[in-house]
Amino acid sequence: MTNPARRLPPNESAVTEPAALPDATPVTLNEDVLIDDARRLEMTWRDGGGLWGWLTTVDHKVIARRYIITAFLMFIAGGLEAGMMRMQLARPENTFLGPDRYNQIFTTHGTTMMFLFAVPIMTAMGLYFVPLMVGARSIAFPRLNAFGYYTYLMGVIFLYVSLFLNMAPDAGWTAYVPLSGPEYSPGHRVDVWAQLVTFTEIAALAAAVNIIVTTFKMRAPGMSLNRIPLFVWAQLVVAFMIIFAMPAVAIASTLQLASDRAIATHWFNPAEGGDALLWQHIFWFFGHPEVYIIFLPGLGFITPIVETFCRRRVFGYTAIVLSNITTGFFAFGLWVHHMFATPIPELGQSLFTAASMMIAIPTGVQIFCWLVTMFSGRPRLTTAMVLILGFFITFVNGGLTGVMLASVGFDKQVHDTFFVVAHLHYVLLGGAVTPLFAAFYFWFPKVTGRLMNETLGKWQAWLFIIGVNLTFFPMHILGLNGMPRRIYTYLSQTGWGPLNALVSAGAVIIVVSVTLFIVNAAMSWRSGLLAGANPWDSYGLEWATPSPAPSYNFLNTPVVLGRHPLWDTGSPLPVVTGLRTDRREVLVTTTFDAQPDHRHKHPTASIWPLIMALVMAELWIGSIFTPWAVLGGVGLTLLCMLGWGWQSTAETDVERVATEGRIVEAA
Amino acid sequence: MTTPSPTRQESLGSVRDLPTVTFGHRSLMWWGTLGFMTIEGWSLALIAAMYFYIRQNFLTWPPITIPLPSVTIPTINLVLMVASVVPAWLADRAARRLDVGAVKLWLLISTLMSLPIPILRWYELWSLNVRWDTNAYGSAAWLLVGSHATLLILDVADTVGLTLFYWFKRMPIKAMSDTSDNSFYWYFMVAIWLPVYLIVYVGPYVF
Amino acid sequence: MARGPRCVEHARRASRRVASGILAVAVAGCAGSQNVLDPAGPPNRSVNHLFWAMLIVSSIIWVAVVVAALWALISRRRRTREDLEPVVIVPNERHRREVGIVTGLVGATVVILLLFLVYDFTVGRALAERPSRTLTIELIGHQWWWEVHYIDPDPSKLMVDANELHIPAGEPVQVKLSSQDVIHSFWVPNIIGKRDLIPGYTSSLFLDADKPGVYHAQCAEFCGLEHAKMALPVIVHSRADFTAWLAEARSPAAEPSDSSAAEGKKIFLAGTCSSCHAVTGVEAYGTIGPNLTHIGSRRTIAAGTLPNTRGNLGGWIVDPQSIKPGARMPSNQLAGKDLRNLIDYLETLK
Repeated sequence: MTNPARRLPPNESAVTEPAALPDATPVTLNEDVLIDDARRLEMTWRDGGGLWGWLTTVDHKVIARRYIITAFLMFIAGGLEAGMMRMQLARPENTFLGPDRYNQIFTTHGTTMMFLFAVPIMTAMGLYFVPLMVGARSIAFPRLNAFGYYTYLMGVIFLYVSLFLNMAPDAGWTAYVPLSGPEYSPGHRVDVWAQLVTFTEIAALAAAVNIIVTTFKMRAPGMSLNRIPLFVWAQLVVAFMIIFAMPAVAIASTLQLASDRAIATHWFNPAEGGDALLWQHIFWFFGHPEVYIIFLPGLGFITPIVETFCRRRVFGYTAIVLSNITTGFFAFGLWVHHMFATPIPELGQSLFTAASMMIAIPTGVQIFCWLVTMFSGRPRLTTAMVLILGFFITFVNGGLTGVMLASVGFDKQVHDTFFVVAHLHYVLLGGAVTPLFAAFYFWFPKVTGRLMNETLGKWQAWLFIIGVNLTFFPMHILGLNGMPRRIYTYLSQTGWGPLNALVSAGAVIIVVSVTLFIVNAAMSWRSGLLAGANPWDSYGLEWATPSPAPSYNFLNTPVVLGRHPLWDTGSPLPVVTGLRTDRREVLVTTTFDAQPDHRHKHPTASIWPLIMALVMAELWIGSIFTPWAVLGGVGLTLLCMLGWGWQSTAETDVERVATEGRIVEAA
Repeated sequence: MTTPSPTRQESLGSVRDLPTVTFGHRSLMWWGTLGFMTIEGWSLALIAAMYFYIRQNFLTWPPITIPLPSVTIPTINLVLMVASVVPAWLADRAARRLDVGAVKLWLLISTLMSLPIPILRWYELWSLNVRWDTNAYGSAAWLLVGSHATLLILDVADTVGLTLFYWFKRMPIKAMSDTSDNSFYWYFMVAIWLPVYLIVYVGPYVF
Repeated sequence: MARGPRCVEHARRASRRVASGILAVAVAGCAGSQNVLDPAGPPNRSVNHLFWAMLIVSSIIWVAVVVAALWALISRRRRTREDLEPVVIVPNERHRREVGIVTGLVGATVVILLLFLVYDFTVGRALAERPSRTLTIELIGHQWWWEVHYIDPDPSKLMVDANELHIPAGEPVQVKLSSQDVIHSFWVPNIIGKRDLIPGYTSSLFLDADKPGVYHAQCAEFCGLEHAKMALPVIVHSRADFTAWLAEARSPAAEPSDSSAAEGKKIFLAGTCSSCHAVTGVEAYGTIGPNLTHIGSRRTIAAGTLPNTRGNLGGWIVDPQSIKPGARMPSNQLAGKDLRNLIDYLETLK
């Protein structure tokens, strides 16, 4: 038998033909050898235990799980804030919350949901599953990942401590100037908002870089670009969007608003040539892509769930990929539709109307593809599929009101009213949160090794769908009936009382639904049915490893021969061997065709990500109170960089170095 | 959990003979560096766009009563930056040759040539002839130059750190790849400064 | 088991109640003085038509998608007791048909969107026209009240008012919007869509109403603590009535005839009132607060927060913070006779 290693393509040349591993004669692997390897890999890849192990772990699954749990807690916090708002608005001229408290609560609700729940949980799903889905042992930059989580956590603590100290921001999650400027928002409330945004932006950028590099360079051999799972495609597009959108809001909040407030710059001060509209432009340049950053991963969840439960490979893979890319790209060209009531020239506004309507097309493409998949498949109505139905019911409604809002004349009537509140909750709850719940039911077994309870699940799903529609549908009518947003109360003669009472009642149903979910998750984690590696007989690589996945993800790197690996290859699983078990090694492959390129020594656990995050926290929080904190922060950052670098250059092993056309062994 | 993969596995080959250290676009770190370059370059582009937006609010540029920025120190610094690309490039070449001695030498020269740059940057800020809190022109110019300054300080610190490590401890061979990426990042720092210099220091003379 | 007659009766009554509730909401939803769906002028009427057209088409699409999803899930559901069915392989013939269907649906989507776009642009162009008009009003936003200037080519005829807007029916009125502090938004739903009042900018809105009546406008851009209580009635007069009203309003305040009002005037001028409030024809020139020249004839006080009655006015003067916490007006320790006299005076300022 010929030496299989010689069959692998030479690693110096760029392989341009589509991925096809040369015919290697498969060698069935001995079970005992596998068990032995597994034991050694576990010892190599498992981060230590105890408090120190907890603080220094770089396992992407552990970090992502923390992100998801923290972000879900934020969902609950944001929901409690919404509950308080609904209690206040349930009756006209209610006295449950005064104006100051109400303004802090609605601002914190929006800020929590948009910055501390929605984006982090979506990137966390990527951080957990992308490496598994592309067949990698780990994520590209594990320590950067840990740093990102700790930074996010600091942001969470910062905002909520401020809320309890009566220092929560109170100018809306959009913080328009001049209201949020130094003259009209004295004190530190808006500074908390400005710096919080920076914490979350840094975490999101860290996640984005990780997802892009993992997806481009660490895929399983044979997983060429046109075989990447659609979940991963969605995460990839979103990662690029994060890179181009997040800096805008970080600059606006920390480098412009915070500096106007702290060191008297004049970005937004019309008296000195600054511009109140500039804030809106830069904020919404970020803000519009932001909502697609939240929504596209939801679409990425739907495809594998529909494929698995309808037993059919999705119709229109290429169309869906292109539609994700198109949506991601055009999302950057819509932002002025948030500013139709401002004195921007009408011709300019019309361009944004056209773009805002046209972006419905790629999303429509995906929906049609899924409908066709369902029609020619054999659907099984699990909880996840009920929630997918919920997506059709809720999101499509929101998407259609979005098209209506694209009209300048109509938008000028309902802008800044409860009609928009209805629209945004329909698209976010229907297009992102509902698929997110479906994803939880689908992938919970992979994360915990146990199935969630289907009966409780179906109850939760229907209650959520009904609750969301009951709560938010009447808001369309309220907006058309003249009710503006962000008001802490209203007069009874407006006649808005009855519908508001209905809305508040609907909110109770949502609370029940989410409570059911938490109960189900908690119970199932402890005593749910054991799931095994692939309870749904799904096709992705994540299902080719035990549940929960071991610290090293895969015993041997799988080889992919199509878009649906496990359905295309069946058993036994084709793999490549050869990664070392005595140190952490990942396989790096070529960008387009995923040919094996080199083996990369991966970092072990480290305390530096936590320390760096603490230093950054000092910098951003301290700078609210004195600009000198920036100097201290920069100094400490430089020291941290030294420490981090020192640790990462500690070991001097013998390596095979590929340079200038040859391979050299050197240490 | 130590149970092996649930499905039976068959090997199609071994990657045992693949290299473990690579340079340039084959390496993960290069991609990470590229990611940060994209973020930072785009951020500067956004700030530049806002600088032009603010321009619309003024009849003259710089605004009336504000003198033109002085170009002496900025031009000296620009020349120094372009010159400092040379030792960075030579350090990169040495790293690819796996020549520790040459890497140490060129990293040291690179450090010595790049240390004055952030110091001069301080004077460049004052060469703007306006304070950040005078008016929106001042705020915009300071932010554009100042943002690049922050990135500069971090990158120079990176180079200094790498140099210190090479001189004072035994570095793993993979650090050669890091050295190469460090030079890559420095080329970007200089390249992205060029348009900023033109916009802030030359622009007011032209528009 | 047959249902008892009682149950049937209950069910019938309950469903009648639900139906009438929905009807009530629907009717209420389409009428009112602060309601987009009850147009009082041609521009809003055309926006309404656009809205209804988009709503009907959207509803049909929504129903179609939901029905399709339900149909697929129900008609195609697996009927075997097998835990897992094998993965479906779609034959080429079927796949080609699916491509045709999806292409058709995408094409239909594009066509519908283009139609919406064209209709919207038509409406938009009409709304964007700058008609000739005879009246210009300046509206200046403050935290949390509205300053209103009725402009006339003759500067001596400038009329300053606050927290209430009067316009004639049947002709377009230009409202120029600006703000003294933060961004506000002027929105009178029955007449036209909103426009923001942005410091550093002046923007224009054209009001074109043809149904006389009293409508309500409210600030529609979050502007701080009391954003919820920054409204103003918009009164649309017939042409003749408006001319009469404007002439009346332009005339200076008459000297109060009865003694209590005269006493009240003294209190007004001697105390802190005149340092914030102005009254034309009297030595009160304050510009921090609303102009009070016509306070007596206003329908509401505190920017639409309370009806203008003696009791409310008294309560507002003595303790504004209990009604609108955070309002810029301090409390005034006035009691009994003094307060009554002051209110008597203010009532004469029609």
